[in-house]
Amino acid sequence: MVRARVVVVRSPNAWTTAGDPDPAVVTRMFGRGFALLGDGADERSAAAALFRPDDRVGIKINTIGGRAISTRPEVALSLAGWLAGNGLAAKNLFIWDRTTRELRGAGYAPAAGPDGVRIFGTDTDGVGYGTDLVSHLGVGSLFSKIQTEFATASISLAILKDHGLAGVTAGMKNYFGAIHNPNKYHDSHCDPFVAEVFDSPPVKSRHRLTILDALVVQFHKGPSYHARWANKFGGLVFSLDPVAADAVGWALIERLRAAAGLPTLRDEDRAPDYLLTAEKMGLGRADPASIDTVEETVA
Amino acid sequence: MNRRGFLRGAAGAGLAIGAGGLPSFGRRLAAANAGPNLSRVEARYYVKHPDREIECKLCPRLCKLGDKERGYCGVRENDGGTYYTLVYGKVCSANVDPIEKKPFFHVLPGTTAFSLATAGCNVNCKFCQNWEIAQVRPEQVEAFDLAPEAAAARAAGSGCPSIAYTYTEPTVFYEYMYDTAVRAKGRRLRNLVVTGGHINPEPLTDLLAVVDAVKVDLKGFSEEFYSEYVRGKLKPVLETIRTVAKSKAWLEIVALIIPTLNDGLPQIREMCRWIKGEAGDSVPVHFTRFQPMYLVKNLPPTPVSTLEAARNIALEEGLRFVYVGNVPGHEGGNTYCPGCGQALITRAGYSIETVRLKKGKCTACGTPIPGIWS
Repeated sequence: MVRARVVVVRSPNAWTTAGDPDPAVVTRMFGRGFALLGDGADERSAAAALFRPDDRVGIKINTIGGRAISTRPEVALSLAGWLAGNGLAAKNLFIWDRTTRELRGAGYAPAAGPDGVRIFGTDTDGVGYGTDLVSHLGVGSLFSKIQTEFATASISLAILKDHGLAGVTAGMKNYFGAIHNPNKYHDSHCDPFVAEVFDSPPVKSRHRLTILDALVVQFHKGPSYHARWANKFGGLVFSLDPVAADAVGWALIERLRAAAGLPTLRDEDRAPDYLLTAEKMGLGRADPASIDTVEETVA
Repeated sequence: MNRRGFLRGAAGAGLAIGAGGLPSFGRRLAAANAGPNLSRVEARYYVKHPDREIECKLCPRLCKLGDKERGYCGVRENDGGTYYTLVYGKVCSANVDPIEKKPFFHVLPGTTAFSLATAGCNVNCKFCQNWEIAQVRPEQVEAFDLAPEAAAARAAGSGCPSIAYTYTEPTVFYEYMYDTAVRAKGRRLRNLVVTGGHINPEPLTDLLAVVDAVKVDLKGFSEEFYSEYVRGKLKPVLETIRTVAKSKAWLEIVALIIPTLNDGLPQIREMCRWIKGEAGDSVPVHFTRFQPMYLVKNLPPTPVSTLEAARNIALEEGLRFVYVGNVPGHEGGNTYCPGCGQALITRAGYSIETVRLKKGKCTACGTPIPGIWS
């Protein structure tokens, strides 16, 4: 397996004076992140390498944590705007999650995205889940039609968080929001289920890119928000390797935990070993020694 | 058209089947387009921890959940450090069924049971027969409001002498089941629970004070089988059987026999010995036929000969009331007097053909037959 490349773009100016993400800065971060996935020079060619112009791109976000600790609207909308400015049609972009309730709770205005970008949940009228069970390895689930029918390509735009059961929730586990029964797959620290859901045809055949919203990282007591253990990291993590992106996210959480004097996730017996399983399944690189991490700061 | 297709069609056509005019959605898997119909009633049997975390004590999973998370069942949610049931009075299936369908063979034969379910289950059997309502979250099925008092009134109005909490796993709608059972008792209705037995001793004991009969699915007899095919544990199910057997509630056991997965005759014999030793020789045991379903579609239906062999083993081990299930017209579906061998209750499918019992005794030899007969 080839080495993985993970790009971490940070900005000290990611926040407005009001404390919200600054869309202009975040958009620049996306530009650099996409560029650095390639040779670092050309943002537009990076997008063209990932998507056909007529792709319908589903941007899967994670909104279970409410306004405080979900993929932020400023981040998701900035990504959609950046994609629309780099070769994709805005009308072919949609930001989505499980339910309208959760989208609203995280600050999204369903169906009211700018320039034709749509925002909606699987529970939207006329959407729903497919009716045929997808049975894959140890998983049996119905998949959101957004994933299986609406999208021809998929970006996992996940929030990076500590997770009491899974250890870490990031880009791969974000696809639990694409199945109808995620509650059935949290046993054994979600291992091997996160890897198996990702490996299922509806996800694996469409996934193109992982981006982690690490503007604020919940490094303990997740997945819910606790200000005491939330760090304003101010970063976005990019990778074409879904396992490597999450492995770098895991390492970041461990760094923040160590700085706060907390034990490792392994010491708490909840390490995200589903990443090791995913590596064994050939889905990507989990071993840090096999990952090249490129870091850049944007003004 | 297969069974699932029929049920979808029936539900889609809006057929009301029984239940006194209730909208009977059967098992329609909603496109989730009507907006969630969720309750917000505080759950029982949980403890609060710091940092808005909770630990559910209802079933052996003991889910530990952060804020906004749901338990394995998918129908109980931590919101701000308080645990809520989302399905209190949110009924996704309500029907008037023959009591034999549950199956209860020693409870009011020939009567109907007002049968209720909400969404959800606390295991994930790969052979689930009702997965479209059991293995989903409550937002994903259509549900209607039916408060406990209204449910009891509907049951009485439907002419049913009992309410059955069934179809999905009633443990996950415990609060609604319990409160409905209390109202039903007030109307002199019987309460029947059809369960997989994954429930903790304290809530079970409290429940047994208000219910009359419990049917427990004993889905296999090894922890390996429960882990792989049920996603649960055997031990707590056995504990549930022990507890019910010691209570005043009537107990029946169903063992679904699946080819190659749990049909080993030595293990069936071991199970029968355990049942006799822990629950007594009078507990009815039903060996029922598997049909390919949900995630196990690569196996054929159980050969009738396998069910007959299991029944013979159970009889050899001294169990007195042993049945073959899901095989309409089979003689193993009848109740025989352990004293003289007379066919006491003969059945054709879910229908009763003859009853030769008088005041709970065999009309031929007078042997008392345990059960709830009136």
